[in-house]
Formats: sequence, structure tokens, C-alpha cells
Amino acid sequence: MIDETELARLLGVHLPRQRWFASGPADLPVEVTLGSLSILRDEWPLLVRAVVSVGDARWQVVVGMRSPAHAAGVVEGKPESVIGEIATPLGHALAYDATIDPELALTLLEQAAGDARVARARHLNADQSNTCVVFDERLIMKVFRRLSDGPNPDVEVGGALGRAGFPSVPAQVGRWHEDGADLAVVHEYLVGGVDGFHMALTSLHDLFDVGGDPAGAGGDFAPDAHRLGTVTAELHLALAAAFGAEAGERERWSDEMLANLGRVPIEGADVEEIRGRFEGLRASRADVGPALRIHGDYHLGQVLRTDSGWYVLDFEGEPARPLHERTRPSSPLRDVAGMLRSFHYAGEVALRDFGYGDEPAARMAAAAWEERTASAFLDGYLETGGIGELLPAAVEDRRVVLDAFLLDKAVYEVGYELAHRPDWVNIPLAAIRRLLTETAPRPEAEA
Amino acid sequence: MSLHDGDARLRPVPGTSNLRLPGTAVDPDPQWYRKAVFYEVSVRAFADADGDGFGDFVGLTEKLDYLQWLGVDCLWLLPFYESPLRDGGYDVSDFFSILPEYGTLGDAANFLQEAHRRGIRVIADLVVNHTSDQHPWFQESRLDRTNPKADWYVWSDDNTGWPEARVIFLDTEPSNWSWDPVRGQYYWHRFFSHQPDLNFDNPDVQDAMLDVMRFWLDLGLDGFRLDAVPYLFERDGTNGENLPETHAYLKQLRKVVDAEYPGTVLLAEANQWPADVVDYYGDGDEFHMCFHFPVMPRMYMALRREQRYPITEILAQTPPIPDGCQWGIFLRNHDELTLEMVTDDDRDYMWAEYAKYPRMKLNLGIRRRLFPLLDNDRRVAELFHSMLFALPGSPVMYYGDEIGMGDNIYLGDRDGVRTPMQWTPDRNGGFSKADFAQLYLPAVLDPVYGFQAVNVEAQLRNPSSFLQWTHRMLEVRRQHPVFGVGDFQVLPAGNPSILAFVRTCTGPDGLPDTILAVFNLSRFAQPCELFLGEFEGYTPHELLGRVPFPPIGELPYFVTLAPYGFFWFELQTEPPPESSL
Repeated sequence: MIDETELARLLGVHLPRQRWFASGPADLPVEVTLGSLSILRDEWPLLVRAVVSVGDARWQVVVGMRSPAHAAGVVEGKPESVIGEIATPLGHALAYDATIDPELALTLLEQAAGDARVARARHLNADQSNTCVVFDERLIMKVFRRLSDGPNPDVEVGGALGRAGFPSVPAQVGRWHEDGADLAVVHEYLVGGVDGFHMALTSLHDLFDVGGDPAGAGGDFAPDAHRLGTVTAELHLALAAAFGAEAGERERWSDEMLANLGRVPIEGADVEEIRGRFEGLRASRADVGPALRIHGDYHLGQVLRTDSGWYVLDFEGEPARPLHERTRPSSPLRDVAGMLRSFHYAGEVALRDFGYGDEPAARMAAAAWEERTASAFLDGYLETGGIGELLPAAVEDRRVVLDAFLLDKAVYEVGYELAHRPDWVNIPLAAIRRLLTETAPRPEAEA
Repeated sequence: MSLHDGDARLRPVPGTSNLRLPGTAVDPDPQWYRKAVFYEVSVRAFADADGDGFGDFVGLTEKLDYLQWLGVDCLWLLPFYESPLRDGGYDVSDFFSILPEYGTLGDAANFLQEAHRRGIRVIADLVVNHTSDQHPWFQESRLDRTNPKADWYVWSDDNTGWPEARVIFLDTEPSNWSWDPVRGQYYWHRFFSHQPDLNFDNPDVQDAMLDVMRFWLDLGLDGFRLDAVPYLFERDGTNGENLPETHAYLKQLRKVVDAEYPGTVLLAEANQWPADVVDYYGDGDEFHMCFHFPVMPRMYMALRREQRYPITEILAQTPPIPDGCQWGIFLRNHDELTLEMVTDDDRDYMWAEYAKYPRMKLNLGIRRRLFPLLDNDRRVAELFHSMLFALPGSPVMYYGDEIGMGDNIYLGDRDGVRTPMQWTPDRNGGFSKADFAQLYLPAVLDPVYGFQAVNVEAQLRNPSSFLQWTHRMLEVRRQHPVFGVGDFQVLPAGNPSILAFVRTCTGPDGLPDTILAVFNLSRFAQPCELFLGEFEGYTPHELLGRVPFPPIGELPYFVTLAPYGFFWFELQTEPPPESSL
């Protein structure tokens, strides 16, 4: 048998070094309790699936094992994927994350989509919270890392949208689950797709070089943003059709915003004024419109431009939140706010990445780009037939709700940046100051 | 001194040492058009041998060595038939004779023979839908209602028929019907009122048009580009476009040329969306080729937006075509770009994309040559040609683009892109010995694009000229039939500014012939990871320099491209020879 104590010890060192393991510093081993261990393959290379608990969270690790000589080629260049040397019934072995092993990835795929016929596997280094493997540039398997008790929202929502005929999600072709919990899901792979953030950076790079009006620059993003707005509205209509809609809860939403605000140490913006805005929402008579299942973590990195238009990915919500919060209905304007914030980030990242820093001309161009992109996105969103039913009826109320979600999102970003990238904190802080002084882009045009 | 002087031709010019020797015959493959590079040329604009200010067949014949050296396989001639020239020669007044300025039938026959001797085929424009109102057929038809040709055109006592048919030249024509005072009836015309439509319901007309084609094929033409094909028939309750009767007649034409003139190519001008144009291929029994109109504007759009999607989207929307058929693709031609082919959905898309770029709109609305459209950027011109030569379809070049000729936008209508070919820095650019004022159109004289700066002679002498580069590209393309006949597969690339695709076919040796092409649509240098899993173990050889690149391994293949850079690779299975590493 595999030495479970040793494996737990090795995983205690391995987990903190993984990008998807979002707690604690990378060099500090954690206390790991081995939950279940299932053997998926009992000959070389060995494959086992381990579920381990760290505190309240349950994590899934798929462990591949080969004799050290055979493992060398697999783990070459991927030291972070090595778990460590361990004794097995077949002999001494090197254990590693099995998703990097093309041969074992095929075995994993059989668990999720047994009838898929593929030849090649490629480990994808993209997702922050899960692990993806691409097969024949045709299928993509997402191995979930943090396990929930219920169905994974990505699987649940993605599947329901597909069944509801929403065309802009990749089709689900397989699912691996056990005792009601999703372990992995297999989608069609959108070959040739590029994520929205990269598309936006390409546009901004061009604009900075050409200078001037973003409408005249070649890399104009507005038509794409317009279509993205349309797809976003269609997403919300499909979510409402699949999961229903209920009355929004103004008081609860503002309470949550206030609670979030209380958790973030904000310096450089007037906390009292922010609080005032959230309390103002609570006290107002604003009709906040319906609440429905939403994307929950909507930004440019979650949408993919392909030859047949935009696709929406990853319905897991913000993975750091508990499941019941992630699946709780909310206003579709929360997704809209997430995307609008993302346009601001794109401008700022482009200024940094392309070395424009604080050059006034480039900064002005980025601001003009953001405004143009946001307005095209909102036009596309609001011009979509039927979307009005999912929003507050009055245009002023839409503004109030959208502004509140924009502010809430920016507050969340401050917390995130302070924890992960302290020198980026000025981006959301600037957004907060702007939101407090100006009005947000106005969702007024209604079809 | 111009190139057609024998001495100039034989003078060793740097870069021409590998000049292709005159072939004795054209490519015998009946599907030659799938591998061919076409070159669109106007007889009037190419070379004037008799000094009357108009190009002619003798002049064109003298330039065949140049065209052979350049590496084109088939010339496409704009109309050269007898015509009052009220519509650029598309208003034919006699199908059996040529415009006197262009020479004699004998000159044309000699030209065809000389072209074939150099392995070059020739196709010509033919308008079947209508004639000039000066054509004797119409003159006879209009006399009364009983003459033998009374029913050769479409006559009516009133002007209310077929209201569903749109008026194409809205700017000049109020209706598709015009009154003829001689016959006292209205006649039908889909284009100008001086171009009455022939009545293809009349079997005599159908036969007459077949006889026109036989006449020119007997003289040596290798095919036709048939102009305005969707409009041959009229039927109540329809818009008169793409009718089944039209397809039936076109299939009959095809049957005749296949039986009597094998190897002849029929190319359709149907300025419509690819999904609609494919109908003109029939089941492989109608046209051999159709133009793919939207690829070209999409290339400009992709360049402006620095992303591949405008191109890959339209290719993804292009349906497969029957075996033996081929698209014709081009960067620019003698016409302006129109959006008349778009469907409603796509028109929305085009408007959303175009209407917001003042520069694009301007460029697309007007009639400009390639280089001015590209701001005279040599790098982009190379990028565009490398795409044109590698995308699926047979490339159709436009005369003068191989030296980067400019235009004269003050000439009005479409004449701005039909100025004389620029051969030398001498008088009239070497096009003609006539007085300047005698030229059919003034040669371009501006300091950037004028013949003193841009001409064949200078570029032949300069090994790094665009002309020499084009020659080299066509030479490489010729060595790889896969560019013409291969499958086409877009490769995923994480960088949106990169267009990458693979073309594959089975080579003559039975082994796969595979080309990988990678293009950078951005003005910035770009890195790119390509996922080439199925080609693991292959070695890419860069085609222009024969440079072996690192073999394709398990990991994504990494390439770096210069601004507007491109690579054509051949994927080879054997390891690269040591000596060349």
C-alpha cells in the first residue's frame, strides 16, 4: 500500500506551493488530513485520487507515480508539480501532480468522458483556481481543486445554460462526480479563442502608439465591447429562464456591501463617504429590480473571443466565497459592474505593461478608451430585447444600483490588492475616488 | 529602354539569374487553375507598341517575357471587344472583333500563341447578360416586333414588370426599364440604360452566346471571367437574381466547354456573400472558380485592428466547395469595393466594424490601389502578399501592384487605378512613345508613386525591390502545389494579433506536403505560442531561406515575429541536415 502518512506529509508541503491553493504563504507546510484515497490505476504509472482536508476546506489532488528514472522526463521543467518520493506496492516512486503527465491525463479523461477518443493531452497553465488539460485541441478537462458538498456551480450553470440553448458557453461533454460533488468537467475547447483581457490590451497598445481618439485608432475595441454587452444580456436572460428570478433585496445587498467595506482597510479614500453611499442605498426607495443567478465573477478574463463571437466561461463565482453565497441570486448589474471595472483595469495594466506609466497623453487615451468601451458595452447590453425586465424599471434606479455595485467591487479590489499586489492598490482607490466624485457610465439608453 | 527590347531582357539583372526558361507548354493538368497565380491586366494600360497612346496586343505580347519571369500562370484580360466604351468596355458592340486601338484579331491570336509558348494561359472578361445598345443585335431587334432578332432582348409595352428586381446603379438609373422610341416599347436592363439585357429565354440567344465563346476558345483563350452572371433570366414574383433557370443555362455552358474545350476555366463574377456564391459551383458542374469578395476587406480590417478575427471569421463562414473548384482571392482589382454582397446579419457586422473607422470608410469607398491603401508601407505590402499567396484560393494580382504603383484619385470614377503600367523612368514611364497628352490616361507623375520613382526597370536592377521580392515569393509558391490545392486549418494562437494556419495535401510522391504559415498583423513585434501537437517530431523549414528551425516538440511551439512579419514553413519529417545548422 501507499504510505498514507507520508503522502499526507508530502501534500502538506506541496499544497501551499500551488497557485490554486489560496491560503497561506507558499513556504509554510500545512496540516493535512487525508480523507479518501482512490486508486485509479494500479500499474505503472500509478494514479490515485486524494481528497485532503486543510482546516474547513477539502481539496482534490490527483497523484501520479512513476519510478524516479521514468518520472524525470515528466516533471522536467515543472518542479512545482513534484510531490516527492514515496514507497508504493510497485516499488519506490516519485509522486507528482498527475495532470502534467499526458498519459495519466488520458486516464483522468476516461473518468469524466469515457467515450471521448483523443490522442494527445496538454497541461494548461492558465486557470488560477483549478487545473486544466487540453486534449487534441478539441476538449478541455477542468479538474476541480477545492471541493464543495454540492454540485460545482460551473458545472451546474454551464450545463443548464447549454440545455437552455444559450449558444455562448462551451458545450459540456463529460462530468466526473462522486457523492454529489463534482470532481472534474469536460468541455469542448474553444480553439483559437483569446480572452477578453488580452484583446483589450491589444487594442490599448495600438491606441497608445497611434495616439488620439480611440474611435479612430485601428485597434478599436468598441464593436467587440458592443457584442460583448449583447452576449452578457443574453446570458442574464438565459440564466433567468433556467433558474428563475426573484425580487431583489435592497437591504440585504447594502448590508453585504457594508460588511465587505468593514473588512477592507481603506486608506486614501473617504471611508465614511463610501459607507454613506451604501447606507444611502439601504435607506433609499430605489427599486433594485430582480435577483437571479448571475455569473458572479464577471470580468474580461472570463470571456473568450472566438471566430464565432464571444463565449462566457467559468461560472464558479469568486472561489474564495462559500458555495451558498456564490449561488445566491443577485442583481445582473453586479456582473455589469464587474465588467466595467475590468475595462478600467485593462487601461491601467496596459499603461504599466507597455511602459507608458503616467505619461499624460497615454493616460488620457486610456481614460477615453475606457469610456468608449464601457459605453459600447452598455449600449449592447441595454439594447438587447427583454433585458429591461431583469433590471430596475426606472433609469435613475439602475444608476443607483450599478453605482453601488461598482463601488462595492472597487472596495473588494482594494482588499485583494492589499493582500496580493500592494503596489496596485492605487488602481481601485482611484476608481473609488472617481466614483465618489463623478457618476458612473450611465445606463440610460434603453431599447 | 524598356524590357521588351531584347537586350534589356537578357541583360543579367541581379536576382534574375534563376530566370525561368521559356516553357514549351502550359501546365497540362486540367485543374491547372487551382495552382495558378492570376494576373489581371488591361490591354489598354500595359504597353503601347504603335505609339497611339493606347496599350495594345502587340505591346502586351512584348511584355510576356516579363510576366513569365515574374512568375504568373494566367493573365485575366479586361474586355477588349469592340465597344463604344461607355462602361469601360463592358458595353460590347461586337463580340467577334476587338477594339481597333488594341490591334487586330491577328495580333490577339499571336499574343495567345506567344503566351502559351511561355506557359502562360489567358482568360478574358465576357459579358453575357447584356450588350451595348450599339450592338447590331439590338439595332436589329429595336426596328420592329417581327424581325428575326425581335425577341433577342426583353421588350414590354409597359414598364411595370418585375418590380422586385432592384436597380443596381441607383445613382444614374431610375428604373430597370427604358423607353425605346424606335420600337415604341420599353426594354429591360439591369445595369445602364445603354446596356439592354439579352433575352436568355430565347434559345437563339443561348446559342449565340455559346458561339461567341467558341469563337474565342478557338482563337486560343483558356477561359472566361463571366461578368454579372446572377441576372440572366427574369421571372415574375422574383428579384431576378440567382434563378434556377440561370444556373441551368450556366451548367449548359460548362458542359459545352468541358466537352469541346477541356481545360477551359470559367470564373464567375458574383459579388455576393460566399455562402451564396457557392451555388455557382453547382455540384462541381457549373463554374470552376468564383471570387471570394469579402476576404480582401477583412484583411484590411484585420490590419487596422491588429487582430486575426476579421479574417478567420469570414473563412469560418465560408462553406466548402465541390471537388475541382477553387476560390479566386485578391487584394485589389480594377473595381471599387462594394458591400452589395452582404446579407442583413453581415451588413450589421460590416457597418458596426467599418462605420466607426473614418479611415477605413474613406479607403473602402474610394478606388485606390494597394500601396496607397497601405500608406506605402513595404512591410505591410509584403505581409498582405504573403497572406494572399498562402490563403486558400488562387491569388489574383492586379497589374502594377508588383512594383507598388500608386493611383491618381483626380481621374474620377475608376480610372484612378487604371493608369499606364510604369516600365522605366523615361517618357510616359516607358508605356508609350506617344505625346503625353495623347495617352488614354496620364501616367502617374507624383514624386512618391510616379514612374520616375516606381518602375519595373529600376526594380529589376535592385535585388531588394518589391518586384524581386514578389518574384521570389511566386517562385517558392510554385514549388509547393499545396498552396493551391491543400486543406486549410487555422491554428489556435493565444496572441490575437497572430494569424497562423496549416495547409496540407498529399504530394506527388504520396507523402504529405504541409505548410505552416504564421503572420503578425501588428505593428509591434509579437511572441506567439502555437499548438502543433499533431506535428510533434516535424522540423519546420523556413521556405524563403531554407532555414531549419528547432523541431516541434511536446510543448507549444514558440515563434517570435517582427512587426508585420511572417513565416512560411514547410513541415518536414526528417531531421535537418547538419551542414545547414
